[in-house]
Amino acid sequence: MELEELQATWTQLSTALEQQKIVTNEIILKMTQQRYSNKFSKITFYETIGSLICFAMAGYIIVHFSSLTTWYLQLSGILCLAFLIVLPILVLRALKRIQNLAIKDANYTDMIIRFTKAKKHLLFLQRLGIYLAFLFFLAVMPVYSMISKGEDIFLNYQASVWYIPIVGAFLFFFGRWGYGCYKGITNSAETILKELES
Amino acid sequence: MDKEADFVELIKANEGILFKITTVYTDNGADQQDLYQDIVYQLWKSFDSFRNESKISTWMYRVAMNTALTQVRSKKRSGHSVSIEKMVLKQTDSYDPQWETRLQLLYKYIHRLNVLEKGLMLLLLEGKKYDEIAEITGLSPSNVGTRISRIKQKLKSQLTNTN
Repeated sequence: MELEELQATWTQLSTALEQQKIVTNEIILKMTQQRYSNKFSKITFYETIGSLICFAMAGYIIVHFSSLTTWYLQLSGILCLAFLIVLPILVLRALKRIQNLAIKDANYTDMIIRFTKAKKHLLFLQRLGIYLAFLFFLAVMPVYSMISKGEDIFLNYQASVWYIPIVGAFLFFFGRWGYGCYKGITNSAETILKELES
Repeated sequence: MDKEADFVELIKANEGILFKITTVYTDNGADQQDLYQDIVYQLWKSFDSFRNESKISTWMYRVAMNTALTQVRSKKRSGHSVSIEKMVLKQTDSYDPQWETRLQLLYKYIHRLNVLEKGLMLLLLEGKKYDEIAEITGLSPSNVGTRISRIKQKLKSQLTNTN
């Protein structure tokens, strides 16, 4: 074989490669999967930290539950525990579900349908969390007051009533901001999936 | 189109280059795929710093070959043998077994070269001019010329022995 033949063989290889996809599609899928999962990793980290704080608070309430002596304080305590334990678990599960969506193993339509379902569920939980946060705030005030100070604020609510608009306003703006972040992340993840179609 | 989409488009458009580089520097399918992924990752990392000062292909060759050299040196590979596995392209209607044999022989010659010579040979086969090879490899154009002459001599003697 002469040098010219080597060159011609190489040129033929280049032409053949132009006509077919070798491994790039697979790698691009892997990269897409990684980019997609990374979209949720930061928020999962913060949600995990938040969940641990919620669980710690729930533990604190459980340990001091005997301090809640009246039925309405006990009811408030139970509502707080439900909020602090159930909601974080549901949110983490929803995040795991959307983060682990297997891009490679499904066809495009199935993947988009599964993503849309997971996204709706996650955003629903976020909205639910925002509304319940107001309820939680109303329930946690008497519980905290009784456990830490031994005061029943249902009997002396005038002293604490001014907290309500301040915390309410905070929850309103914080909730809107948090929900906006979630929407931004899920929309951005959706864009990554849509790139696969093109 | 955003940055990520641009990058994916770029890789798709130039996967032939990456395939050829990874084939030259590895001797089995698994290593080739590892190197391919590594190159794509390095290209992605340096994508921001690419400012159209050189041609896209020049930038891709430079990053890809540097990555390949780093990986080859770290694994201290030498004396490559050519595996059939990576040569076999997806067979099409125009598949030519004689060409496949010639291609294997070509890879055999390339794999006998040292790591720098492999890169120079690859760029030469790609039809690059000495100036562009110099830009990709960081050698001076005259140095490129000298080294390529030596490679040609080496190949000629190999070809003569084979014939």
